[in-house]
Amino acid sequence: MSAMTIEKPWQRWAIRIGVFLAMLVLTVPGLWVMLTAFRPNIEVLARPAIWIPQNWTLDNFARLFGLSASQQGLPVAQYFINSLVISLTSTLVAIVIGMAGGYAFARFSFRGKGPMFLAFMLSRTVPGVALSLPLFMLWARLGIIDTSFGLILVYMAINIPFTIWLTDGFFRQIPIDLSEAAQIDGCTRWQAFWKIEFPLARSGLASAAIFAFLTSWNEYALASQLTRTTASKTMPVGLMDFTAQFTVDWTGMSAMAVLIIIPALVLTFIVQKHLIAGLTFGGVK
Amino acid sequence: MAEVRLNKVVKRYGKLETVHGIDLEIAHNEFVVLVGPSGCGKSTTLRMIAGLEEITGGTISIGSRVVNALPPRERNISMVFQSYALYPHMSVRDNLGFGLKIANMAAPEIEKRVNEAAEILGLGPYMDRLPANLSGGQRQRVAMGRAIVRNPDVFLFDEPLSNLDAKLRGQMRVEIKKLHQRVKTTVIYVTHDQVEAMTLADRIVIMRDGHIEQVGTPTEVFERPVNVFVAGFIGSPPMNQLDAVVRGQMAVLGDGTGVPLPAGLVLSEGQQVVLGFRPESFAPRGHSLHWEGATIAVSRPVVIAEPLGTETILFVELGGKDVQGKMLNPREVHPGEELEFTLDLSRLHVFDKASGRRL
Amino acid sequence: MTTTTEPYSRPTTSEGITAFFRSQKAIPYLLLLPAILVILSVVLVPLLLSFWTSFTNYNLTKPDTLYNFIGLRNYQRLMGNAEFWWAFGRTFLFITIALNLEMLLGLGLALLVNKITWGQRTLRTIMMFPMMFSPILVGFQFKYIFNDSIGLVNNALFDLGLISQPIPWLVDGTLANFSIIFAEIWMSTSIFAILLLAGLMALPREPIEAAKVDGCNSWQVFRHITLPFLMPFVYIAMTIRSLDVARAYDMVRIMTNGGPAGRTELLWTLMTRTGYQNSQMGMANAMGYVSIILSIVFTFYFYRKLTAARTFMGGAQ
Repeated sequence: MSAMTIEKPWQRWAIRIGVFLAMLVLTVPGLWVMLTAFRPNIEVLARPAIWIPQNWTLDNFARLFGLSASQQGLPVAQYFINSLVISLTSTLVAIVIGMAGGYAFARFSFRGKGPMFLAFMLSRTVPGVALSLPLFMLWARLGIIDTSFGLILVYMAINIPFTIWLTDGFFRQIPIDLSEAAQIDGCTRWQAFWKIEFPLARSGLASAAIFAFLTSWNEYALASQLTRTTASKTMPVGLMDFTAQFTVDWTGMSAMAVLIIIPALVLTFIVQKHLIAGLTFGGVK
Repeated sequence: MAEVRLNKVVKRYGKLETVHGIDLEIAHNEFVVLVGPSGCGKSTTLRMIAGLEEITGGTISIGSRVVNALPPRERNISMVFQSYALYPHMSVRDNLGFGLKIANMAAPEIEKRVNEAAEILGLGPYMDRLPANLSGGQRQRVAMGRAIVRNPDVFLFDEPLSNLDAKLRGQMRVEIKKLHQRVKTTVIYVTHDQVEAMTLADRIVIMRDGHIEQVGTPTEVFERPVNVFVAGFIGSPPMNQLDAVVRGQMAVLGDGTGVPLPAGLVLSEGQQVVLGFRPESFAPRGHSLHWEGATIAVSRPVVIAEPLGTETILFVELGGKDVQGKMLNPREVHPGEELEFTLDLSRLHVFDKASGRRL
Repeated sequence: MTTTTEPYSRPTTSEGITAFFRSQKAIPYLLLLPAILVILSVVLVPLLLSFWTSFTNYNLTKPDTLYNFIGLRNYQRLMGNAEFWWAFGRTFLFITIALNLEMLLGLGLALLVNKITWGQRTLRTIMMFPMMFSPILVGFQFKYIFNDSIGLVNNALFDLGLISQPIPWLVDGTLANFSIIFAEIWMSTSIFAILLLAGLMALPREPIEAAKVDGCNSWQVFRHITLPFLMPFVYIAMTIRSLDVARAYDMVRIMTNGGPAGRTELLWTLMTRTGYQNSQMGMANAMGYVSIILSIVFTFYFYRKLTAARTFMGGAQ
């Protein structure tokens, strides 16, 4: 439903201006950071402020990857690779495990179903910071602190509950008749799943995967405690390190921010439709 | 040969028993309709035959095999679902051929069978469409097509017409009947619509609350319902049922009207009975369906008249209740008009009030 | 084997278990097994460990203290610790203010966008923009924008001639709290707006039309039809948000890290400071438990509301 009431012209304009201002507030801060990433440091520090960029440059990015002679940057390339490996692996495993769980909740009735679902969701409630303390102690004992494996394991655990929640919803949307019809048509339950239910849930699963990826990609609290060196540090940890350095390099940090946001930007645009449907569906129905 | 035999079949969910040990034998190539109000256990029974529900007790056999422990795919059955359950991501052709492909049939053979089925059901022009782009009737046909290509021993239908509008339902009913005459197979068909049951069935199984009330041909269950439930369920408009008390050779209604009882019934004086008669046996004089032989006549003012074209349903008060009569070759009738009705005594049904059973 | 008087052999326990795992009933449990194992080992075991350490005076620099059981002393000391109570109160207030403002602003934005007939898809996409930002990025972005010497806000105020001295957005205690709340709201209002917009789009026409025919004005329609219908969506958003409200830690960590002088200290920043900088792991874990309980209470509260609203809606959805 849209605009069923009849508005007076001034009301229509008030609405438009309100929306415009809101959109401005939502976009300008992010765009300003992105803009900064392509400007030289002098321009950013200039007083009075230079609003319109005079010089566009990619130097900030070059510096990050150590390509420019002017300043030795952080090992951002390594951080980027770490982030990518950790996020992709943990997503893949979380989706497989979460999908199995979501399917169990959507298709079977069994003893302890309700409490178990609640327990999964509650496990997600634990703040990352609070979990990081004991995980730090435990991972140190097990010798998997500052390893990609250690972080992958943690990200799997934080992504599984949400994946279960989403996939449960997606599988519920698929009528159970279809699986039954396939079984009468000669499929085993396993075949019915792979030939009928899985293809139908595929787009939903893809968006669950992107969710999981973004959660891992953006996570800071746990990564900051469980990583120590370039062996496993991720982009958000790197950005934090960058801000804590003595020389304040706003353009360099902005360039790093852009590197973090771009994958997120692309992926979110891909799933935006499913994202909303998935969130509301799981909750309301 | 695929006869289906149910022997003391029970379904329990936890403590709740929904099907209470039913026995039923269905002959080879017979068209049997399970009918009853919702919640009577007819769908559960069908799903147990299909293997979609576990059988809690008793045995089900198809042909010579007891199928209790067999998964659906090993029972050689096919089923048309109420929702049709077409695979939304497959074209009509792929939907039809899916079962054959799963069975690893050779591609040319699949194509031959699919085309045959498509021809029988007139699906030719739609073969490459997705289910989403089909009308309700077309989807229904695809669902049936998917069932027939596999050449099953038993055909199961679970309320296949209930999602269609009234007109299409009538058409599809005829098509299903034609289909059965063409592809001779055992059919078990579940519906809550007694008209579907009457028109399609070789034999009707009327169920209520997890029990079978009566099994018989459409004529049998219509002419000789075993109890008041079946009497009220089969026939449209439903049979009129009036409470009465036996006085000598008469049943006396609430308003004092005496109705002579048929000979040969064992009744005791003062026994409470239910007197049943169908609207077509209660008509204004000169507008009856049957020869007006042994009748009694009552004059009553018409409360409501429902003209249907070939007949008019008249509501009048009799024995303290509204009863319906059917006027054939109708003329215009106004409410309040007093008419003389004849009640055909040869078509009276007498039931025991306490047990509800036919006397 | 000797002969036995028993006519049948009772299945042993292990046989019973094998039989169970081969039966149909085991399927859902088998499907859930990997998920359960992961959650047990990565969430439950650490939580038990931190529960234990919260009863010890475990110090990171002295490993032996892990076995030093001191009962409830950590919790007792927390109760008497003003710094903790300030952080606790501030966190509680922070969550309450942030969630409520986000809800109101999100509702307002959703209603506005819903009135726009043209380009709604584009608007929705723009609205998702902040959702893509990780909290650490949001923190960095506002650290930059609220910077007193080169930040966008001060620059703009200067050039508009509104101020002559830079405003110390992140250095003054009160302003820093304001800045943090602003950043938090910027980050999360979109989630409310988008979910509520989805709710508005799913709003059935008939009840609204019926209400109009019955003589309601637009405020009454909103109050009695639209709002009750939207409530489940509000609660979903609230539940989702309270699930991960602690990610504000990342943002605060980079913006102020609890400063200046502890004026923006939240439970979460205090916890890591106690644990890592001061090495008092036992105490930090005790705070961790307080924060976990806080999160669970908020989530559970809204989840209950959601279930209630759902039942109330009945067949409407």
